[in-house]
Amino acid sequence: MATPPFIEVQGLQKSYTPGVPVLRGVDLKVRKGQSTFLVGRSGCGKSTLLRCLNGLESFDLGKIRVGKAELERGGGVRGKPGLKEIRALRDHFGMVFQGFNLFPHLTVLENVLLAPQVVKGLSRSEAEEVAVPLLEKVGLKAQLLSYPAKISGGQQQRAAIARALAMAPEVMLYDEPTSALDTWLSDEVFEVVRQLDAEGMTQIVVTHELHFAREVAEQVVFMEDGMVVEAGPAAQVLKDPEDPRTRAFLRKLQ
Amino acid sequence: MMSTRAVQAFGSFLFAIALSPALLFAAEQPVLKWGGDCDGGAPYIFRDPENPERLIGFEVDLVEALAKKLGRKPEFIQNQWDGLVPGLKRGDYDIAINGIEITEERLREASFSIPYFHTYEQISVRKGDEAIQSLTAARGKIAGALTASLAERILEEAGGIESRSYSSQTNLYEDLANGRLDLVLMDQPVAIYYADPDPRLRSVGEPIGRMSYGIALKKESRELLASIDRALKELKAEGVLRDIYDRWGIWNPLVAREFKDASPSRPARELERYLISRDGFSGWKAKLSRYSSYLPLLLEGALTTVKLSVLGMTLAVVLGLLLALARLYGGPVLSTLSLVYVEVFRGTPLLIQLFLLFYGLPYLGIKLSPLVAAVLGLGFNYAASEAEVYRAGILSVPQGQADAAFSLGLNRRRTLRHVILPQAMRVVLPPMTNDFIALLKDSSLVSIITMVELTKVYGQLASATYDHLGLGILTAILYFLMGLPFVRLARRAERRASLGWR
Repeated sequence: MATPPFIEVQGLQKSYTPGVPVLRGVDLKVRKGQSTFLVGRSGCGKSTLLRCLNGLESFDLGKIRVGKAELERGGGVRGKPGLKEIRALRDHFGMVFQGFNLFPHLTVLENVLLAPQVVKGLSRSEAEEVAVPLLEKVGLKAQLLSYPAKISGGQQQRAAIARALAMAPEVMLYDEPTSALDTWLSDEVFEVVRQLDAEGMTQIVVTHELHFAREVAEQVVFMEDGMVVEAGPAAQVLKDPEDPRTRAFLRKLQ
Repeated sequence: MMSTRAVQAFGSFLFAIALSPALLFAAEQPVLKWGGDCDGGAPYIFRDPENPERLIGFEVDLVEALAKKLGRKPEFIQNQWDGLVPGLKRGDYDIAINGIEITEERLREASFSIPYFHTYEQISVRKGDEAIQSLTAARGKIAGALTASLAERILEEAGGIESRSYSSQTNLYEDLANGRLDLVLMDQPVAIYYADPDPRLRSVGEPIGRMSYGIALKKESRELLASIDRALKELKAEGVLRDIYDRWGIWNPLVAREFKDASPSRPARELERYLISRDGFSGWKAKLSRYSSYLPLLLEGALTTVKLSVLGMTLAVVLGLLLALARLYGGPVLSTLSLVYVEVFRGTPLLIQLFLLFYGLPYLGIKLSPLVAAVLGLGFNYAASEAEVYRAGILSVPQGQADAAFSLGLNRRRTLRHVILPQAMRVVLPPMTNDFIALLKDSSLVSIITMVELTKVYGQLASATYDHLGLGILTAILYFLMGLPFVRLARRAERRASLGWR
């Protein structure tokens, strides 16, 4: 491909405690409009990688570039990255969490309104023009005025997706979005992921649900021990992996 | 009926308050500010049981006579007895009079006039126990005295007597009557007013020890001291002092010897009047009408209590939040400072903090008014607790909430304001309401810095009327009623804060 990838991660290293690395030099490329699924065992560093991407977690060494925004640490770069650089990176992403993390003191609608009003400075009605269609799109038209505690997990996660979309991100990050949900509710959530993919959204999904990766993913990245073992088109990595470690992992899951 | 009466009384009281400064200024005489504690009871300076807004006592009469000689208008400043000499140094009043004995230690802190009265310690016992006539006979018995008084020192030096320390004479004599104590050693004027009228008690034996009351002044007030000494000599020579002591029934052989006046004493009209007004009413109707006449004073005290508590709590709630934020997000320096603040203010007594604020700061050139010192003292102290309450509340909000807010582009300040604090409030409000009620009751400590609030008014009325039980219940009811509206307000706020959880 002649055009450079939209997201480029190079040699990312991170450890929470010195001497115990979580990421040991991760490389990753994501093209615009592509849905990338990160798979691998628990503790292999998938979630940490995701959190590093939007600056929720710092890293020790390496480089992240998203569009024109760049964050580099170690090597010639000294000191911690400034808030401005983190914000520049973060502005590209919307994030969905395993535990939904809806704001329990706000209604579903208010959850979606908050960031457009507070961060973008929109008026309530302007923000509603953004929020209401998004909530309708994820199928929560009837739950606008409900508090999070009063709706199902699947509904909560869909509300969380709408909340992230309200800031019009270029990339959606999903950190095990269905791990807290049963199969039916998971399907509800993935239906939204599938729809966004069809609309051309760039997405990075950390999940254990491989059948879903098979359906939606353009790229699958298999990680182990803080490193990318294998990355490639979904059909190849999931059906005909090259690396024995990938094969071992897939066997275990089936 | 009762309530309209109370309202009328309160109205006339307000009227009197509004009028009194006008009267004061109309006189255009220089003012003689004198400090005393009307909690001390009869016969020194106390509230007239018939008309509690009026102060009476032999020292009140003495100051009036003295001020007339000096050509000045007396103005009473209330202060807790322990704080009378420190208050002189602060310059809150010109002189302090309230049975202050001239001692070596006090002479180091203040100047004293020539003595205006001499007295001694008096043994009182239960009726039938008259054999305990002397300290020797009191060996093996339990004796009571006021804390840090001459009487207490005498008891300790006598040896073989178990000595117990009290803060009020009414409790002392009550415990003597009910058998907790075998004898009480007390200044003779107090024994005359509190022991002798009680049919269950007897004062016995020879005078013990000797003390001389003097008027205390700041060391710098040399001129005033000289003119007070002159005036006292004249009052003595003219028989004015003798007349006052006779009226109050406290003339004694010691004063007679010092004043070289051996003439028999005249009827103690003020003593009789006091005893009749204190004990001469019975039946619930008389009691009720008496309580309703005390209500305006109690309500005024309650108003001060509410004002202090609301202002103090407001300061605590704001400062506490800043402390909690500094502790959690302030970086190493601010965080440590906040921690030190909380440990220091939580780990030291409020009473001592108030004392330092009021009497200590003037040494650094900062002289706070009583109200400001009280509000700051309460606020600073409770801010330490509120900081911890906030911290617990903020920490109770899961990290995922901040993650979600950050990922939406909210910065730290907005995350706190829109996401963390609203959720923390749900956890914070119940203990905070609790603290407010505690502060409401703790606010009584500010009486040591001259503030007259509800508990102080109670103490003054109770010591003057000898009615601790009835007034105590009345005061407790007032405290309870004061807390109620705030508790209900807090409950409403709590309901709003926990909307999403119900």
